[in-house]
Amino acid sequence: MDVGFSMSNSAPGEEPPFELAKKVIQKFVQRQVFAETKDEMALVLFGTDSTKNPLEQDGQYQNITVHRNLMIPDFELLEEIANQIHPESQQADWLDALVVCMDLLKKQTEGKKYDRLVIVLLTDLCTQASPDELDIIIDNLKTAGITLQFFLPFPAGDDEEGGGDGDRGGSGHPGAGKGLSREQEQGLDMVKHVMLSLDEEDGLDEIYSFRNALEQLCMFKRIERRPTAWPCQLTIGSSLSIRIVGYKAVMDERLKKTWITVDAQTNKRDDVKRETVYCLDDDNETEVQKEDIIQGFRYGSDIVPFSKVDQDQMKYKHDGKCFAVLGFTKQSNIHRHQFIGNQVIKVFAPKDDEHAGVALSALIRALDELNMVAIVRYAYDRRCNPQVGAAFPCIKQHYECLMYIQLPFMEDLSHFTFPSLENKKFVPTEAQLSAVDSLIDSMMLVEKDESGEQKDMLKVHHIPNPAFQRHFQCLHHRAVNPGTPLPPMEPWLKAALERPEVISERCQAPLEEVKRKFPLTAVEKKKQLKTSAQIFGKDTGEPDAKKAKGDEEEEDYNLADIAEGSVTSVRTRVIVFIFFCLVVVTPVSFPVCQQLTHRIEQLLSNKNTHYYMKSITCIQAFREQSVKLGKADLYNSYLQSLKRSIPNRGLEVFWDLLVQDAVTLISKDEVEGSTVSKNEANQFLITDEKKEEVAAPTTEDTGDVDDLLDMM
Amino acid sequence: MAEWNAYYRNEDDEEEQEEGEQSGGMVTGRDSLVFLVDASKEMFIKEEDGKPSNFDMTMQVVRSVYTSKITSSYRDLVALVFYGTEQSKNPRNSFKHVYVYHDLDEPGAKRVQEVDELRGSKGAQLAAKTMGSGETSLGDALWCCANLYSDIKLRLSHKRLMIFTCRDDPHEGDSVKDRQGRTKASDLRDTGVIINLMHLMKPGGFDVSLYFRDIITPPEDESDLGLQLEPCAKLEDLQNRVRAKEKKKRVLNRLNLCLGEGINVAVGVYSTAVPARKPPPIKLYRETNEPVRSKTRVFHTQTGSLLLPSELKKAQVYGKKQIVMETDEVDSIKKFEDPGMFLIGFKPMEKLKLHHHVRPAVFLYPEEDDVKGSSCLFSALLKRCSERNMFALCRFTARRNYSPRFVALVPQEEESDEGKGQITPAGFNVIYLPFADDIRTLDAPQLPCASQEQVDKMKQIVTKLRFKYRSDAFENPAIQQHFRNLEALALDMVAPEDIEDLIMPKVDQIDTRLGPLVQEFKDLVYPANYNPETKPAAKRKTGGAEKKPKVELPEDELRAHVQNSTLGKLTVPVLKDACKKFGVRTTGTKKQELIDALIAQYFTKFML
Repeated sequence: MDVGFSMSNSAPGEEPPFELAKKVIQKFVQRQVFAETKDEMALVLFGTDSTKNPLEQDGQYQNITVHRNLMIPDFELLEEIANQIHPESQQADWLDALVVCMDLLKKQTEGKKYDRLVIVLLTDLCTQASPDELDIIIDNLKTAGITLQFFLPFPAGDDEEGGGDGDRGGSGHPGAGKGLSREQEQGLDMVKHVMLSLDEEDGLDEIYSFRNALEQLCMFKRIERRPTAWPCQLTIGSSLSIRIVGYKAVMDERLKKTWITVDAQTNKRDDVKRETVYCLDDDNETEVQKEDIIQGFRYGSDIVPFSKVDQDQMKYKHDGKCFAVLGFTKQSNIHRHQFIGNQVIKVFAPKDDEHAGVALSALIRALDELNMVAIVRYAYDRRCNPQVGAAFPCIKQHYECLMYIQLPFMEDLSHFTFPSLENKKFVPTEAQLSAVDSLIDSMMLVEKDESGEQKDMLKVHHIPNPAFQRHFQCLHHRAVNPGTPLPPMEPWLKAALERPEVISERCQAPLEEVKRKFPLTAVEKKKQLKTSAQIFGKDTGEPDAKKAKGDEEEEDYNLADIAEGSVTSVRTRVIVFIFFCLVVVTPVSFPVCQQLTHRIEQLLSNKNTHYYMKSITCIQAFREQSVKLGKADLYNSYLQSLKRSIPNRGLEVFWDLLVQDAVTLISKDEVEGSTVSKNEANQFLITDEKKEEVAAPTTEDTGDVDDLLDMM
Repeated sequence: MAEWNAYYRNEDDEEEQEEGEQSGGMVTGRDSLVFLVDASKEMFIKEEDGKPSNFDMTMQVVRSVYTSKITSSYRDLVALVFYGTEQSKNPRNSFKHVYVYHDLDEPGAKRVQEVDELRGSKGAQLAAKTMGSGETSLGDALWCCANLYSDIKLRLSHKRLMIFTCRDDPHEGDSVKDRQGRTKASDLRDTGVIINLMHLMKPGGFDVSLYFRDIITPPEDESDLGLQLEPCAKLEDLQNRVRAKEKKKRVLNRLNLCLGEGINVAVGVYSTAVPARKPPPIKLYRETNEPVRSKTRVFHTQTGSLLLPSELKKAQVYGKKQIVMETDEVDSIKKFEDPGMFLIGFKPMEKLKLHHHVRPAVFLYPEEDDVKGSSCLFSALLKRCSERNMFALCRFTARRNYSPRFVALVPQEEESDEGKGQITPAGFNVIYLPFADDIRTLDAPQLPCASQEQVDKMKQIVTKLRFKYRSDAFENPAIQQHFRNLEALALDMVAPEDIEDLIMPKVDQIDTRLGPLVQEFKDLVYPANYNPETKPAAKRKTGGAEKKPKVELPEDELRAHVQNSTLGKLTVPVLKDACKKFGVRTTGTKKQELIDALIAQYFTKFML
């Protein structure tokens, strides 16, 4: 990477090339770290103030620093990039830097096995490079089998916008519109010369602009697994066999790593020990030693002791690995929704066995022409139970194969019958059907473009699993910015999961029509209430006339969400927000608190869980802000008085909710000035039996509580 | 909730599993099923052509339900009651001519044996001896069954009663008994018992409308009273019919299919094909064979004090760095949106690729009870998609804290077989689609293709071995063997019954059918000296089968590997040795687990 002084030059309002180049490297390293590839990486900086490289001698190869030798990238490298790499004030010849990199690759790959050697150059080409030894360098690159990639602040071509992104380029490339300096022009010519000498046809495809690179690097690498070959023989009867090799082609992929449990204080795994003990199901819970435990199985109401040894001896055994044809059947007899398992295996002939290739090809083509499939017995190996499955013929332009998918056993199926939908009550009218028709028309994801070719707007199998992307995003954030809350989801990821914009615009009117033509009314049901948050969320039996207007749909969420401001209920958000504004702008002061506690009282006078929950939200916010501002007295005294008034006002239900959410006094541990100890705070929520006589606050205000809230 | 667990066993989180058991407002009690079987003389009449009698057939069905309950849902309660017997046997002996063979209880090995005793001609003799055939009073029989239900102290979620008979006029015109039967049936129905009729062959035809129409529970679907059903003549039909009714369809969850702002169709998600597994073993105390409970405690290694969940955090190691998160953060990462299905658009069916398969499909059916109008819109969508040969692409979040998946809603029209019953219900099959991560890049070998002559020869072979595949034709031999073993142990049998491995190719039959075709095909594709059975010349085996000398890993090398994150390059045996050598305790055997353990050790030992 070029860190020379010109790299920090930029037009006003534009990010300097240095920052962009650094981001490209960061993104690249991040992807490598989380993909856990075994690729090794070195970092060479040029244009540095100092010089540190093995070739420096007699004033040659100056201002070039080998920052890190070839090894697997890790967070250390990421942190170094973030903290130690700054723009410097020298300039260096990028061809010299290239030579240092070649030397490094040569020396540090000695004795290692590798697939590919790549040098990636990030520079603005502002320094004059001496072309004297260009041809020798090119020859050396060729002999060493090194691939080059250039990342520049501007697109490489005049008409073609650099690295294969022709259609996207031109949009906001800084410096693209402006003329390049003479050095840059010359440099670019040299880059092109080098690239075309290395690869006459596609050489220029390996020149990228920073912008395009960043766009493409924004997602984490998809999980890549090296396919493992499964050699076997396809057999038909006892005397016809064909040598085959199977590979998993589609597989419900999961993350390789699982969470380990660590001690919250030390963050050490070894500090946590998990122990399982066994006990009898009696009153004393008599403990039983592990040695005295045997294994059994249930057979209906009986429990049959059945030791592991016996089990292994008696269990179903088979001859191991196999791919044996049971027979052939029409493809139409196989129902797609009855596919089972979580993978698809592609079956080829071994690549060095053309006779097997021909034999397998005959089978594949025969099945294809007859529209049939083979039903096979498949066993991965001796340890795995055999399956039954279908081998479909698959003929592609470049290859042929069988695709094996598991089918169900009788035990796996459940036959449910459902009432027919051809019921008078549900049969849609012609008008309704045509509304659905126009909805389908407006939401077609596959369309013919001008050239008459079908275009699929949303290929979901090109979208990376959002769960993995989010997982890595959060891990990365925590690693790089410890102590800060997790970031929101990346906008591009959110967008990738939504309807394509064209569709969502186009379907508006048809959707409205469907809405008009099909009346849908949610049936109110008594729900089992569990936590206060859910009472809040699912509060449907509310007698409030305003609520009945169906002003907003409140969703299921927990109180933690409220604190994060991610609450979907507009009204609640408003309350909390206003309160935050009040207390944040003016530090918790008496008038504000009075105003707030007054509102809480009003909410409480409306004995209804809906309002109880709002009160709790307010109290929580009150507490949070008080802690933040280090003032406990006002809050504590309010809560104490509230507690005293509970029995008189019949607010026990409310109190229970408060207890569930563990909203207690602010203790000394949290705010120094508090007079309440942690223990007292914990004890506080336990209601004592004796009722204290305290005058209930006046609640004569009978106005519309919601209006009051709105005024707040 | 067996189905829930079976279905979501793939999912990684145990905690969520527990949660799932509570949520969704699903029924939690036990299912119960009473077989009320006619024991009149007519039931024992044997057909001339050696076909089993109605009674024999019924007993076979009862047995198969017993064993299937044992294997799939042992907690369900099953009873077997005979009516029209000479002898009487019931809890308070208050009913004449009603013989409770098994009262409502979990089925076990002994009960299977007892039903077995009633099968065949010996069984008929035994039945005649112990019970005999006598007067019939369906009213008494139903009353007795009602008592069976009310004697159960457990909570019952689903109550079903199946009447097996071949007499359409059981009381032969006795109007008092007829009325009594009707009253008792209606009482029973009022308590939530669903009464089905499994009517069997009767010379001259079984007329349901004569009497039983007033006894049975009307079908959920009013347009079809289910009365035109033919009586069951074949065991297979009866078995299918019983199987269809015997299991209550359990909804995995109910959620909204959202077409757009404010257009929510309530749907239920059902699983129709879930891999059955061997049930997990139970830990027993050696002395008494009673089950033990396990308790797991988490404590601090140094202080020995118990650790509360709030005193624990979660961590993963990437790029040599341990990244720590709060437990609730781990959950929040997984959360994208609330459970539901969101319509993205439509695609023609040919865009649904056969090989885009990552999980078993589920089935979607409207829930009119949750959102009124759902069925109509659902039905309109289904109809149009089906007629236009389209599928709907949706984003699907199955449960809380599950990340979304894309699914294809493939329309399925209702199919019935000549008035005998539903083969496939109307609804959408939900096909899970792969993400980019799920698709692997393969290097397909470049090989020559077969000539038309070769293909044609293979076509002859294929045609010779055609059969009609049926999805329920194959039993899982591993599971069958497991249960036979248990059965043998439970019933003190000398050896378990043999199982037939149905997925074993019938090699002899295949060979006879193909005859000379195999050789002809081989002559066409294989050269004379080619033998596909032999393995290709082994490349690496040189000299004797001597094992490689054990590779010892010195400590500094290990350290270097940890520092450079190159542990992955070592083999599992070397890693295992290293673990042993450096005193790293490991529970895992997978490479990643070994590596994680070594890295953790490294952090504690060298760095901290």
